[in-house]
Amino acid sequence: MNDTTSTGQDPTEQSTDDASFRLSENGDTTAVSASTTAEVTSEPALVVDGVSKRFGSGEDAVVAVDDVSFTIEQGSVVGLLGPNGAGKTTLIKSILGMVLPDEGTVQVFGTDVRDGRRGAYADVDAMLEGARNDYWRLTVRENLRYFATISGIDPDSVTARHDRLLDRLELTEYADTAVRNLSRGMKQKVSLASVLAGGAKLVFLDEPTLGLDVESSRTLREELKRLAREEGLTIFVSSHNMRVIEDVCDRVIVMSDGRVVADDTVEALLRSADRNAVQITSADIDDGVVRALEREFKLLAVEAVDGRRRIEVRASGDDLYLLVDRLREAGVTIDGMRTIEPDLEDVFVGLTGKQSGLGGAGEGWSQ
Amino acid sequence: MSNQTDASEQLDDPRPATYYHLARAVLYREFLIFVRYPANAIGGIVVSLFFFGVLFYGGRMVAGQALTDSIEGIIVGYFLWTLSVGAYSSVSNDIGSEVQWGTLERHITTPFGFAPVALLKGVAKIVRTFLTSAIVLAAMILITGTTLQLELLTIVTIAGLSITSVLGLGFAAGGITVLYKRIGNWLNLLQFGFIVLISAPVFDAPWTRLLPLAHGSALLQRAMVDGTRLWEFDPLDLGLLVAVAIGYLVGGYLVFQTATRRARRLGVLGDY
Repeated sequence: MNDTTSTGQDPTEQSTDDASFRLSENGDTTAVSASTTAEVTSEPALVVDGVSKRFGSGEDAVVAVDDVSFTIEQGSVVGLLGPNGAGKTTLIKSILGMVLPDEGTVQVFGTDVRDGRRGAYADVDAMLEGARNDYWRLTVRENLRYFATISGIDPDSVTARHDRLLDRLELTEYADTAVRNLSRGMKQKVSLASVLAGGAKLVFLDEPTLGLDVESSRTLREELKRLAREEGLTIFVSSHNMRVIEDVCDRVIVMSDGRVVADDTVEALLRSADRNAVQITSADIDDGVVRALEREFKLLAVEAVDGRRRIEVRASGDDLYLLVDRLREAGVTIDGMRTIEPDLEDVFVGLTGKQSGLGGAGEGWSQ
Repeated sequence: MSNQTDASEQLDDPRPATYYHLARAVLYREFLIFVRYPANAIGGIVVSLFFFGVLFYGGRMVAGQALTDSIEGIIVGYFLWTLSVGAYSSVSNDIGSEVQWGTLERHITTPFGFAPVALLKGVAKIVRTFLTSAIVLAAMILITGTTLQLELLTIVTIAGLSITSVLGLGFAAGGITVLYKRIGNWLNLLQFGFIVLISAPVFDAPWTRLLPLAHGSALLQRAMVDGTRLWEFDPLDLGLLVAVAIGYLVGGYLVFQTATRRARRLGVLGDY
């Protein structure tokens, strides 16, 4: 753990010997992508070490991020989950240099952001939730060219990349349309395209599927997976949409009250869920049966459905056989029975004690 | 999704962008917005001419010959004021807009650094403001039937340096807007203070030459009314003009940087 403490100075200010700039052969000062270094050394894409951020002072102080540490390898897709107020946005802003952390260090492709902010962020871009991220008065293609340049890449050298992005995000026919004339979902896709236009190696996406319809959301998720798989793009995605996180991410970091409460693969988190349950539906389940079951089993839910009762009972293995025996002894005819697979929402609730904020794992609720 | 562009994947050959590419991108963006959305520019020209018309015809009714005798000075001052207001408001409002759009952060984290981007944006704003103010100037000359000395190099140089100091004020105002987002409209009121600066008594109170616009306004009056050419000015006067321009530009940019750094410390940079 890094024990860096606040010095009162801006730790991410640009150093004068920034290695990301050099004189080219014709004498022009040239922005040099840090990717060269990244590719050669295979440094982790991101190392966050002991980052803390407190807002306010005295009794009113709020610890937004509390001693957060993790490492993200190149080419991986990592999700960031947490209820509202968990510190996700502050953490992302701290990594991107938009918030100055009180403590801790951030390294991007091996470069400490305090040693060379420009160099560290040369291969980084971000799509921030709630912001336009691009210019609505320009056309889609003009945005791509502009932000490629701002990212330090000659736009004429990546026209093929832009064509591919437009094609993959189904924006080709709108390439020469002003962004202001597009739907919200299309704007969201343009925003993502502009983030990827300059060939960033590490991108931060905050609610990337917000505003997208089901099909567009699926398209975007597939594209993110392809970019990570085929182009080695490292993606750090924050979302309330469990489907996005579960579908796209190799690994999930869960935050609560400013701290990391879980950091593991999606599969490992699902395995850890304490949620081996069965759902039984029957017209014969009355209050007496419920009370009897409660004495031996943990009932997770009891609800009335179409004149019948549906109960959820935590049971597996031998418990399951015992449960069926007890129901038979009580004269209950089982109309329906199915096991309940835990999903990321269950894991999330188990870890944080809170709902994710926008609903369950269904596709459509956040679109 | 289609795979029609698989072949294009072989064509990617990313090359680093130079400052030339950056300048081209920033200036081209300003040009596109100016050409495609001329309503703002036309509106500004109409409003400027309306107020000048009220000033000229109303003033002539009240002051008669006295106003006509000093009309050249009023036109030059009004020309410089429209230039100043255009440069100041476009820079300060631009920064505020970038904050709202979430694009300011992308310019701050660019590998070029924010300073060159901001400087280029400022240049683009000055060029745009010159175009619209030139139209206002031509209209004022036609309305009043006045004759002015229009030596282009002299006017562009002196007026350009004069409003460079205003750009600095625009950056400072933009920085304060980043920090205190709702204060932008109040800061726009500052542009009426430019009238005081333009008409500052630089001969009676020489220290006012150190204020933005004041010294430049006096030199511009000499250039456009008396016909003094750029090379005919005292080098000390030109040196002071350059020093004031650079001083306020650098000072304003430092205020912007300081405000941005404080916004990052407070976690209020950006609007997301």
